[in-house]
Amino acid sequence: MSTWERLVFTDSFTEFKMQSQYYNQKGEYNTFAELKHHVPNAEQLHFLVSGAVMGYIRQLDDLIPDVTNNLGLHFLKFNQFRFEIINSDLRNIDKHVVAINFYSEELQYIEQIGDYLLTSKINPSNSDNEPMLTDMFVITPYLTIYTIQQ
Amino acid sequence: MISVSPTLLDMERKNFLRSLLIGAVSTPAVINACKKSSVANETVGTTSTVTGGSSTANCVVAPTETEGPFPTKVPASYVRSDITDGRTGHKLTAKITIGNSSSNCSPMAGAIVDIWHCDADGNYSEYGGTGMQPTNYQSVHFLRGRQTTDVNGLVTFTSIFPGWYSGRATHIHVHVYNAAGKSLKVTQIAFPEGSGTAVALVNGYSKGMSGYTYNKNDNVFSDDATGIEIATVTGNTSSGFELKIQLSIPA
Repeated sequence: MSTWERLVFTDSFTEFKMQSQYYNQKGEYNTFAELKHHVPNAEQLHFLVSGAVMGYIRQLDDLIPDVTNNLGLHFLKFNQFRFEIINSDLRNIDKHVVAINFYSEELQYIEQIGDYLLTSKINPSNSDNEPMLTDMFVITPYLTIYTIQQ
Repeated sequence: MISVSPTLLDMERKNFLRSLLIGAVSTPAVINACKKSSVANETVGTTSTVTGGSSTANCVVAPTETEGPFPTKVPASYVRSDITDGRTGHKLTAKITIGNSSSNCSPMAGAIVDIWHCDADGNYSEYGGTGMQPTNYQSVHFLRGRQTTDVNGLVTFTSIFPGWYSGRATHIHVHVYNAAGKSLKVTQIAFPEGSGTAVALVNGYSKGMSGYTYNKNDNVFSDDATGIEIATVTGNTSSGFELKIQLSIPA
């Protein structure tokens, strides 16, 4: 786990322990699954716990982590994200699992070359005669194309 | 840095250009991480290297960056005194004092106080999470805040005067935790009513007061016969309002 991931992991668990008490005032439940099953609105915990990780999201400087181009550089810009609690257990931090989905800004798809996608950032001022800067990268696990538009 | 063969650029680009959005889940490592107790993986080598796109098959490009800016410990975004996040409305300064009812209501220092309330139109910051919609990460938690009480048991928030929504009197939610994060009390703050009060002066913002639920008909506050949940609110619409309340809670 990277430092960033560990901070997200531990702080979101702490926040889950705090925020879940509102939905668990008799202390009957231990897991997020139990809370979702028995308590109306416990789904709100995705949102409420996300407050603990916003500072870490900001530290990314709008760059999606983990995904690099073929030069090893982070290149996908984002401002949309979605945080979710996959699982958690008040008794055991080892059961705590969260996910953050990052959604890139729009890219232009140019070509697929072997295993690589060749894309460029959207630049409306770029004329057809100018060279455009491109990124080449592999679609790795946990990376997908979210929307596509002709 | 990459020279692309001229034929590619000569192609009729517009015919096959498409725009796309890439979505990435960043936390496979977190998913696995709960099983790892060591920090052995915290090197930059964890990303698999990829072969360069040149004709030399063994030309491996070294990743130059996998962790981005240096991550530092930060408190939850709720930890702040000004919770307005760009919401507009009459300024409200809320001064909440927490006392320990198990000790003659003496000030409770170090208690964590969360508050949240609706905006001038009666809307809360989105709950999200249940849908599949991504959100912009700026200001998603508007009008929610967290402060720790000082030696006098006091926390101060800067916000806007809450609007109202159907079925409820004007209110602010409060959740008090001890310093260790154990929940001590979940409650709500009510507002005084009648001629000259802040509720009357704000006049429900753009909604007006038609259909407003007053405290005596509010399903949360109607049993508060002595008005113990009603704050003292002073001020006016031009210079803003100040709310004061003492909440006594068994520590």
